Amino acid sequence: MLLATYDLWGFVSENRHELWHGFVNTIKVSAIAIVGSYAIGITLGAARAHRIPVVSQFTAVYVEVIRCTPILVQIFLLFYALPQVGILLSQFTTAWVAVTIWGGAFHSENFRAGFLAVSHRHREAAFALGFRPLAAFFNVELPIGGRIALPSSINTAISVVKNTSLMYVIGYMELTTTAINISNLTLETTEAITLLGIVYLTLVWSLSALIRLLERRLALPEGT
Amino acid sequence: MPDWANPVARYVLEEGLPGMLHVAVISLIGATVIGVTLGSLLTIHFRPSRMLIRLYIEIFRGLPIIVTVFLVFYGLPPISPALQFSPLNATGIALVLWGSAQVAEATRGAVGSIPYEQHEAASALGFGWIGRHRYVILPQALRRLLPPLVSLLVNIIQNTTLAAVLGGLELLSAASRQNERVAAVPPIGTGQIHALEIFGGLAVLFFVISFPLTRLAAYLERRLV
Repeated sequence: MLLATYDLWGFVSENRHELWHGFVNTIKVSAIAIVGSYAIGITLGAARAHRIPVVSQFTAVYVEVIRCTPILVQIFLLFYALPQVGILLSQFTTAWVAVTIWGGAFHSENFRAGFLAVSHRHREAAFALGFRPLAAFFNVELPIGGRIALPSSINTAISVVKNTSLMYVIGYMELTTTAINISNLTLETTEAITLLGIVYLTLVWSLSALIRLLERRLALPEGT
Repeated sequence: MPDWANPVARYVLEEGLPGMLHVAVISLIGATVIGVTLGSLLTIHFRPSRMLIRLYIEIFRGLPIIVTVFLVFYGLPPISPALQFSPLNATGIALVLWGSAQVAEATRGAVGSIPYEQHEAASALGFGWIGRHRYVILPQALRRLLPPLVSLLVNIIQNTTLAAVLGGLELLSAASRQNERVAAVPPIGTGQIHALEIFGGLAVLFFVISFPLTRLAAYLERRLV
């Protein structure tokens, strides 16, 4: 009975404004979180690779706490528990902060591994050429270590995009929340899930194709 | 512990923990069995079967798990009323679909790392494809598979919280219900908000369960590979 009335195009065209708005919110949160988590990951990953006191230990704890607790619990803590100490975050703020913190932890592991894989001789060569430590980092370590970390870091970025769908639990109107809410009213659940599947798989598969492209383009020259 | 906290902890541990374990056990067993089977089949050089399995892996690794959960819980019943599952079972099935894709990928790598001579030796002894994998290849591949399986268990435990989205009673929804009850006016609750302690405590509980498992995975990685 229900399958006989299946009409994906009808569902999309009747609700195109809401769905488009939801899609834009998904992209907005993903974009902010990807940029933010890369910034956190490169900074803290470098701090760990160089064993900078305090920051390095803080990062180790941060990474373990994020990896060993469910992201849904982290979202609940931000959204439902922080108001108790007077910090009220909007749904949008909770959404991007939660995935940024989560992605930052995974990225700092990616980049720690990447920077550790940079041979010590490259740093010494940079110093011999008169680079100061920060200049050596940006001109030598980041280009080499960053490329090594790139494939695993894009996998983390893909997970960041997928995790924005969890904002359903706080009712933030990204794509998943929007589609499921509409289907709760119109009973077009099958259509809503099909649409979510198509959109997320398109996003995820394009990003994985990007990994393969970048891996070829940014491959380190022989012998590095 | 303050007066309000005792019943909260009891409810979370007595009602929530069994729910979490229920989902975790279904997911771990299902994902391992299906994942190892699909991963072994993926090593057969037969185009149609490989393409089908690849498609399965790419779909369930690509979908956000919450969408797979919705797919199982809301998307299957219209096809057949027999496919109507409880929130906990639906989450378990969704995690089997997602987890088996991860395990299949890991199994393919592990089986591929067994030298080809092992296959030939087993064939020479008269084993067919099934016997060769069952008695010779998989027992060796399993050693390499153990660390990723422990990591999978950690991820499964974290993802059981998705059942809360469907209203299934596991750790997160148990804590959430208690959070609302405690905040209610007396005599039902205390009239005070204790969300930070309740969800903070829940995070500690998950950490205490997961952290040793991540150490175990790292240890096995060093020992077995």
